[in-house]
Amino acid sequence: MTDASLPAAAPKSLLVADGRTRRRKAAETRFRLYGVAAIAIGLLALVFLLTSVLGNGVNAFRQTFVEIPVTLDEAVLDKTGTRDPKAMAKVTTVSYGKLIQQALEAELATRGIDTSALTEKQVMSLMSKEAPADLRRQVLADPLLIGQTITFDAFATSRVDGYFKGRVTMESASRDSNITPEQLVVAEAMAGAGLIETRWNWRFLTAPDASELRPEAAGLGVAILGSAYMMLIVLVLSLPIGVATSIYLEEMAPKNRWTDLIEVNIANLAAVPSIVYGILALALFINFMGLPQSAPIVGGLVLTLMTLPTIIIATRAALQAVPPSIRDAALGVGASKMQSIFHHVLPLAMPGILTGTILGLARALGESAPLLLIGMVAFVKDFPSAPPEGLMQPATALPVQVYQWTQRSDPAFVERASGAIIVLLTFLLTMNAVAIILRRRFERRW
Amino acid sequence: MNVMQIAERATATATAKMTARGVQVHYGENHALKDVDVDILAGTVTAFIGPSGCGKSTFLRCLNRMNDTVASARVTGEIRLDGEDIYDRRVDPVTLRARVGMVFQKPNPFPKSIYENVAYGPRIHGLTRNRAELDQVVETSLRKAALWNEVKDRLQAPGTGLSGGQQQRLCIARAIATAPEVLLMDEPCSALDPIATAQVEELIDELHTQFSVVIVTHSMQQAARVSQRTAFFHLGHLVEYGETGQIFTNPRDPRTESYITGRIG
Amino acid sequence: MQIDKHILSAFDRDLEGVQALVMKMGGLVESAMLDAAQALDTIDTELAQRVWAGDRAIDALEEQIHNECARLLALRSPAASDLRTVLTVMRIATNLERCGDYAKNLAKRVPVLGDLPSLPGAVGSIRRMTRAVVLLLKDALDAYIARDVAIASDVRQRDQDVDQMYNAIFRELLTHMLEDMRNITPCMHLHFIAKNIERVGDHATGIAEQVIYLVTGAMPDEDRPKGTSLSALTGNPTE
Repeated sequence: MTDASLPAAAPKSLLVADGRTRRRKAAETRFRLYGVAAIAIGLLALVFLLTSVLGNGVNAFRQTFVEIPVTLDEAVLDKTGTRDPKAMAKVTTVSYGKLIQQALEAELATRGIDTSALTEKQVMSLMSKEAPADLRRQVLADPLLIGQTITFDAFATSRVDGYFKGRVTMESASRDSNITPEQLVVAEAMAGAGLIETRWNWRFLTAPDASELRPEAAGLGVAILGSAYMMLIVLVLSLPIGVATSIYLEEMAPKNRWTDLIEVNIANLAAVPSIVYGILALALFINFMGLPQSAPIVGGLVLTLMTLPTIIIATRAALQAVPPSIRDAALGVGASKMQSIFHHVLPLAMPGILTGTILGLARALGESAPLLLIGMVAFVKDFPSAPPEGLMQPATALPVQVYQWTQRSDPAFVERASGAIIVLLTFLLTMNAVAIILRRRFERRW
Repeated sequence: MNVMQIAERATATATAKMTARGVQVHYGENHALKDVDVDILAGTVTAFIGPSGCGKSTFLRCLNRMNDTVASARVTGEIRLDGEDIYDRRVDPVTLRARVGMVFQKPNPFPKSIYENVAYGPRIHGLTRNRAELDQVVETSLRKAALWNEVKDRLQAPGTGLSGGQQQRLCIARAIATAPEVLLMDEPCSALDPIATAQVEELIDELHTQFSVVIVTHSMQQAARVSQRTAFFHLGHLVEYGETGQIFTNPRDPRTESYITGRIG
Repeated sequence: MQIDKHILSAFDRDLEGVQALVMKMGGLVESAMLDAAQALDTIDTELAQRVWAGDRAIDALEEQIHNECARLLALRSPAASDLRTVLTVMRIATNLERCGDYAKNLAKRVPVLGDLPSLPGAVGSIRRMTRAVVLLLKDALDAYIARDVAIASDVRQRDQDVDQMYNAIFRELLTHMLEDMRNITPCMHLHFIAKNIERVGDHATGIAEQVIYLVTGAMPDEDRPKGTSLSALTGNPTE
C-alpha cells in the first residue's frame, strides 16, 4: 500500500469539530438518553410496585387486639378437676365462648361502657370468632392456668381491625352486614378505655391459615413451613444431582452427538413453562407413584425438576470459568482427573455453583403454577409435623397462599395477600443477597 | 570452536533418558506431528524451537501424555522412558507425570498457599510419611527453585500473590517436588520480564545436572542460552536436531537456517 | 524453501550496508596496492604520497565497519549464516586494513629507493608479483560477493604462486647483494617490499578462507602447502 491510495488528509485544527464528528457525538448523547429513560421507566415500575405492596401489606403485620381479663373457671373447663388433658379436650369452644362473653360483658360494665345499643351477639362479634378456639388452645397447652384470671388477648374482628387501620369507616359500616356503626362506637369507647389496641402481630407469620370468615386470624405459618420443606427437598436433591451432572458433562463426557443432544435438551428444559412441570408431576408423582396430594414432597420434587436445568447451566458456566491452566497444573504434577476436579476445579467453581443454586432456589420459592396442579392450593389449617413424616402431610406454599388470599372476597384478605408478598419478597431478596455475598467473598482471582 | 566440540562430546556420551521413534500425532483430521525421532539425553537441556503450529508443544505434551486430555488427539509411534514404552496400556499417566514433570507457559500456581502448592504433588503421590518429611520436601524444592529465601517467611501466603517470575519458579518448585526425572517446560518464560526470565534460565541451567530438561521456546536466543541440544520443528516435521552451538552457527538444513536467521516465521 | 530476504527488512539493509563498506574498502586497498606498485616502478613520489595519505581513509573504513558490526551484533542478534556474515565481515575488514598498511609501507619506501641505485629487474619482478597479488585480492573479494567456494579455493591455491614469486625475488635480491655491496641497501628495502606484498597475498588467502567459512560453516583444513617455508629462505629451496 502506498501513501497515494490513502485518502488525502486535509490539514485541520483539532479545535474545530467537523460535521461527522458532531453527528457521532449527537448519536452518542441520544443513546445515553435512551438508556436513562429506560432505567427511569424501570425504576418507576419498581417504585409503583413497592408502594402498592408496602402500602397494602404493612398493615398485615399489625393487628387490633381486644384485651380483657378472663377468669378460667374450673367448674366449666375441668369438671373432673384432674387436669387430665383428655377430659379437658372434651370441653368445646362453645363453653370457652360463653366464658369469654361473660368476661367481656363484665369488663365493659366495670369500665362503664354503654352497650345498650347492641345485642349481646353484636358485642361478642367485636371479637374474632377465633377467640374461643385461641383460649382453648392456650388452656390445653397449659392446664395450670385453670382457676386463674388471665389477661386474654383476642383478635378484634376484621371490621373493627379495619376501622382502626382506616379501612372501614362509619359510612361503610352502615352498609355492611357484618358490622354496624353502633358496634364501632362501642369499639371506639373500648379503645379509649385501653381494652382495644392495635400492635405488632407475630401471629401473622406463625399462625396457620384461617377460614374466609376470620381473616384477622389468618397467618403464613403453614405456608412458610411448607415452602421451607420444599426448599429443603430442592436443595438436597438438585444440588448434588445438578453438580454431578455438570461435572460429568463438562469434564468427563466425550464430546459427541449424544452429549450435544443432552446439552441442547437441558438448555431447552430451562425454558419450559413451569405449568408443564406441574402436569408432569401430577401424572408421575401423584397418579403413577401414588404420592399424596398437597404434600411438600411432591412440590419439592417438581420444583427440583424445574430447578435442575438452571443449576446445571450455572454450574457448567462456573466450571468453564475455571481457567484450563489450573487443570493442566494439577494434571502436570500427576493428579488424576478426579483429583484435579475435586481438589482444584470444584473449589474454584463453588461460589458460582452456590450462586446459581441460590438463584434457582429463589425461582423455585416464588413458583406457584406447578404447585396449583399438584393440589397445594388446598386449605390447610394444620401444621405438618417435623420431617420426614411432615413431608408427606398437606401443606401450602407462600406464593400459593398469596394466590388463595387474593381469591377470597373479604377485603381484609387483600391486606393479608400483600403482607404475604412482602414476606416472599423479603425471602427472595435475602437469598439474592446471600448469593451476592457468597460470590464476593469466595471469588478468587487468578 | 573447541569449547563447542567439548560440549558436543559431553552430550554425545550422555545416555538417552527418553527415546521417541516414529511419533505421529493427529488432532482429528489435522496431522500435527509427522514421524518424529528424538533422543532426550540424561542431564541435558534440550530445546525445541520452531514457528507457531510446528508441533513442538504437541511433541512436548506427548512426552508426559498430556495429550491424553485432548479428546481428538491420537498418538502413534513409540516413546520410551528408560526403555519402557510410556504409551503401553499398563502405564498409568498419573505415575508417568510424577516422573515427567511439567511447567506451563503461563505461571499457574493453584489459588492456595505457597506451601500447599509445593506439597500437593508429594501429598497425592504419597511420597512422604509425615508432616516433617513433607516440610523438608517443600523446603528442598523451594531451595532448588531458588525461591526459598524469598518466601520462607510467608509459606502460608497465597501463591497467586507472588510476582510473575516468582510464580513461575513456584510452579517449577511444584513440579520438582515429586522428584521427576524429566522436566518439561512449555515456553516457561513467555509471560515473564527479562530479569525474571534470566532467573528462570539460571534455574534451568542449575537444574539440568539433576534432571533432563526439555524446554519449548519461541525465543531462539533463549534456546541458545539455556540448552545443550536443540531440535527444530517445522510443519510437523523434526527438521534438525543437534548440538545447540552447531544449530545456531552452522545449521545443516536450509529450513533451520531460514528460521534461525529470521527469514521464515 | 530458503528465502533471501529477512522478515525484518531493516536487518537486510544493515547487512547489505556493512558488506558494501567492505567492498568499498576492498576497492580502496586494490587501488592503493596498484598505485603503490606504480609509484615504485616509476619512482613517483607524488603518487606514493597520495597512497600514503589514502591509508587514513582505509583505516577509517575499518573502524566504521567494526562499529557497524558491533551494532548489528547487539541489535539484531544474528545467527547462523547472518552471524557468519558479520564475523567474516569483521575479519575481512581487519585483513584489508593490514593490506592497506602494507601498501602504505610500500609507498613509504618509494622516496628512499629514488635516492638509491636502481635495480630494474627486481622492480619488474615486484611489479608482476603485485599484479598477481592484487588479482588474488580481487578474486578473493569476488568470491566473497558471489559466496563462491570454488573461486575461494582457487585463490588459496594461487597463493602458492605468489609465494614462489617471492622466493624467486628473494633469490634474485640475494644475487644482487652478492654481486655488489652497494646494492645491499636498496635490496633490503626491495626485500621488505616483496615480503609485504607476499603478506598481502596471505591476507587474500585469509579472505578466501573466510569465504569458505561463510558458505560452509567450517574453516578449510590446513592442507595448503606453505610457500614461505623456512627452507626457501636459506637460498636452497627444496620445493
